[in-house]
Amino acid sequence: MSLLVFYLFAAIAVLAALGMVVLRNPVHSALSLALVFVSLAAMYVLLSAPFIAVAQVMIYAGAILILFVFVIMLLSPGTDQGVGALKAQRGLAILFGAALLVLLIAVLGGAVLPPTRGTFTPEAIAAEGDTQAVGALLFTNFLLPFEITSILLLVAIVGVIVLAKKRQSISKQ
Amino acid sequence: MLISPELILAIFGMLVLVVDLIGRARTREWLPWVTVLGFVLAFAATLYIWGSNASIFAGMYSVDMFSLFFKLLATIAGTMIVLVSIDYLRGRTTRQGEFFSIFTFSILAMTMMASSASLLMIYLSIEFLSYTSYLLTGFLREDKKSNEAALKYFLYGAITSAVMLYGLSLLYGVSGSLNLTDIATAFANTVDPSVRTVALVAPALVLAGLGFKISLVPFHQWAPDAYEGAPTPVTAFLSVGPKAVGFAILLRVALTTLPIYQASWIPLLAVISIITMTLGNLVALRQTNIKRLLAYSSIAQAGYMLIGLVGVNLTGNSPFSGLNGVLIYLFAYLFTNLGAFICVIAIENATGAVNIADYAGLVRRAPFVAALFIIFFLSLAGIPPTAGFIGKFFVFGAALREGFLTLAAIGVINSIISVFYYFAVIRAAFFLDAKDPSPIRITPLVTAMLTVTAAMVLLIAVYPQPLFNLAAWSMGMFGVVK
Amino acid sequence: MDPLALVIIEALIKSIVVIIVLLTGFAYLTLMERMVVARIQVRVGPNRVGRVFGIAALQPIADAIKMIFKEDFIPANADKLIYVLAPGIAVGTALLAWAVIPLNPPLTIFGYTINFEIANVNVAVLYLLAIGSLSIYGIVLGGWSANNKYSLLGALRSTAQMVSYEVSLGLSLVGVLMVSGTLSLTQIVQQQSMIWNVVWQPLGFVIYLVCALAEINRVPFDLPEAETELVAGYQTEYSSLKFALFYMAEYINMLTISAIASTVFLGGYQGPFGILPGVHWLLIKMLIFIFIFMWIRGTLPRFRYDQLMRFGWQVLLPLALANTFVTAVVLVLLGK
Repeated sequence: MSLLVFYLFAAIAVLAALGMVVLRNPVHSALSLALVFVSLAAMYVLLSAPFIAVAQVMIYAGAILILFVFVIMLLSPGTDQGVGALKAQRGLAILFGAALLVLLIAVLGGAVLPPTRGTFTPEAIAAEGDTQAVGALLFTNFLLPFEITSILLLVAIVGVIVLAKKRQSISKQ
Repeated sequence: MLISPELILAIFGMLVLVVDLIGRARTREWLPWVTVLGFVLAFAATLYIWGSNASIFAGMYSVDMFSLFFKLLATIAGTMIVLVSIDYLRGRTTRQGEFFSIFTFSILAMTMMASSASLLMIYLSIEFLSYTSYLLTGFLREDKKSNEAALKYFLYGAITSAVMLYGLSLLYGVSGSLNLTDIATAFANTVDPSVRTVALVAPALVLAGLGFKISLVPFHQWAPDAYEGAPTPVTAFLSVGPKAVGFAILLRVALTTLPIYQASWIPLLAVISIITMTLGNLVALRQTNIKRLLAYSSIAQAGYMLIGLVGVNLTGNSPFSGLNGVLIYLFAYLFTNLGAFICVIAIENATGAVNIADYAGLVRRAPFVAALFIIFFLSLAGIPPTAGFIGKFFVFGAALREGFLTLAAIGVINSIISVFYYFAVIRAAFFLDAKDPSPIRITPLVTAMLTVTAAMVLLIAVYPQPLFNLAAWSMGMFGVVK
Repeated sequence: MDPLALVIIEALIKSIVVIIVLLTGFAYLTLMERMVVARIQVRVGPNRVGRVFGIAALQPIADAIKMIFKEDFIPANADKLIYVLAPGIAVGTALLAWAVIPLNPPLTIFGYTINFEIANVNVAVLYLLAIGSLSIYGIVLGGWSANNKYSLLGALRSTAQMVSYEVSLGLSLVGVLMVSGTLSLTQIVQQQSMIWNVVWQPLGFVIYLVCALAEINRVPFDLPEAETELVAGYQTEYSSLKFALFYMAEYINMLTISAIASTVFLGGYQGPFGILPGVHWLLIKMLIFIFIFMWIRGTLPRFRYDQLMRFGWQVLLPLALANTFVTAVVLVLLGK
């Protein structure tokens, strides 16, 4: 049953991801990406991590992507038909991209990863609660990355203000 | 307090913002000095915890001598770049507070990259440094070139970081751990052919992200445009900072996680090293803009440094372990390249010129700068008696010791090619007549920084023993490879 | 019978019941709104169709029939797929929220315990926020796909507005989460049998109400469809059933936020002394909220765009942050 659900959402995710790259209209691309995010969330549910799943939908589909859509609509670019300089490179790009793809499939396609089980098995999560597990880890083992991320976000906010705020003329100083 | 340098940098990064926010115009004059104070304190804190060898935050963060070496490097680079950017920024931007704050955070990111011992921290700190670098590159909003540079840098960085993340996820998938040493153990204990296959491919993908930071060919295309458009002190930073800590992570991953696959990654790195040196040097020959020239020069320099990793061999007591060559090279390169860029800044501050043609007759207009150009370019080309020679001596020596004769030979040939374009600048400065012979006024601060860097370049060459010791200490924590 | 199949059948039945109730409820909400606003404006309001006790009891059905028989029009340069999809997304996300709201205490009939929520998810509060953040898509896509500048402006406004107020909305609930120590709505309701959360979180309650109003684009935050400036905002080009769907989504959202506010802050289905079954209490509380929303609509003018943004970022967000901070400090001091 859960395998069936997995394949269903895996297929949706892969197709939507392809659509995101292939579709010409940026809004369609963004929507495909939203679909990818939602199917990923479904997979997190299958992995008994509903907290991560909901956070995934809320943050990626609900916040980040909406901002993408906002920017796309604000700038309303036409459908991308390829600019002159890029057109000349298209053949080469396809060639090298396909070569890399073939290489990766050839090398990684046959690889079977070891079926290791980590600390957080479904039973462990059921006993502790997945939200509690995420919270506890964030403030113990992953405290440093957690704090650094907050500094990173601060820097990002400062940077956005620097880049986006109305220009002041230098002579005023 | 093993993370005191990081704490100090984080606090000062925010302090600068606060001072900028609540301070008056006169207080804001002190912002660069507050920043410098932060760097000096972080430098002192690094010295205070000198000799520690600890793994903290559940093994995510390694405070060892290797990381402390790079923290020293980061704070030194930070101090010098802040000092030369004071005059440069005046009149170019009104947002000095944000500039110095973001710059402090970028030094923080460098110190964290040096200590990262888990895939998560590696990715996070690389992204941290990338974001601050993009912001600094595009900081001059009024300047179209600065915008263009930031955009190209950002797009290129986003792609390589995605590729790197894919590689990191594969590494995590095959080993079940984020910790570099745990991954090494998992690799050593497995006979599963699938794991071994993935363990060969995944690091190659990770190399895309690191190669972007280090500017290795073929991940170098952003460098000339970003270097040309960025504010010149930022260019100086980009040419030494991300490159140095990129090497820190490359060395750490190669020597702690992947030593058992050394036979596989050495040919790959050797090839990358050769094309990086050759392409960098050949394209540099055709450049007319000094910042682009130094960009290609710094790409080529990354190629030389990589020779040290190719020739790495930590067994025995040979003075040419390869690793020490990379560290010595990085240290020498820090002062040399910063010095060269400070010369460029000195001229740009006074005249706004960044083309080599504008350097005609420089010897009459600014004899001090012209003379120092010679020292820095000699050092970049690796000609004694300069620091660059010591660096090249040790990386080429390691390659010879390991029997990579062709690689060493190509390195030497490339050094000779590089002499041509370095001396094209010197020829303009010394043997061509200036269109405008008026003398160029160099501010005292820039003069002081020029003196310091030039003195260091010469000092390392005539009295290199302390640097040798520093490199030897710093690599002590790596196990025997081979 | 297979237990899994049983669970699925039970969920299906519950979903169908909830959807039917919501759709009828929506229809009669429109009637209620027309009447309430009419009284506020000293008018009579609808009183003709199927008159019962002076109320036009069949008015909503008449409205629905009228709506269905209008011409269904798609603008020539619209992005057809998305244009059709958008109202569906709007209604879909509006209905999805109801999957986790507990309506009544569990009942045991013939040894079979029925829970009166469709799914007892242990991250229900976050689920609500996630669904709420997805509901923007309906408006945004509807506004964009119609290829009309008023629609686009409405969509842009609503994106900015909803994204801004979502932050404070989430933070206003964090206080309750810290007090109750769970993300499960079922548990949050059960904990309020003695004292409602609003007692501990008065500020959070107010912030939630304000932000929720902004999230569903009601007066005084109805800039996305400000008729005096934008014709009808994102709905300008919609007609017939598609327009009705947007309309429906709007009213269901109103029901949803009243239900969430009642559940999280006012004890949900918990009523005094065990009189009346729980669901009645929930309905009474929701009706009070809905009446307040209509009252607001009848009395308050609309915000200007810059006022809206400033209010969201410079008043509500700091307040919500302060509320979170104070709650955290107090909880630590109490040693919880």
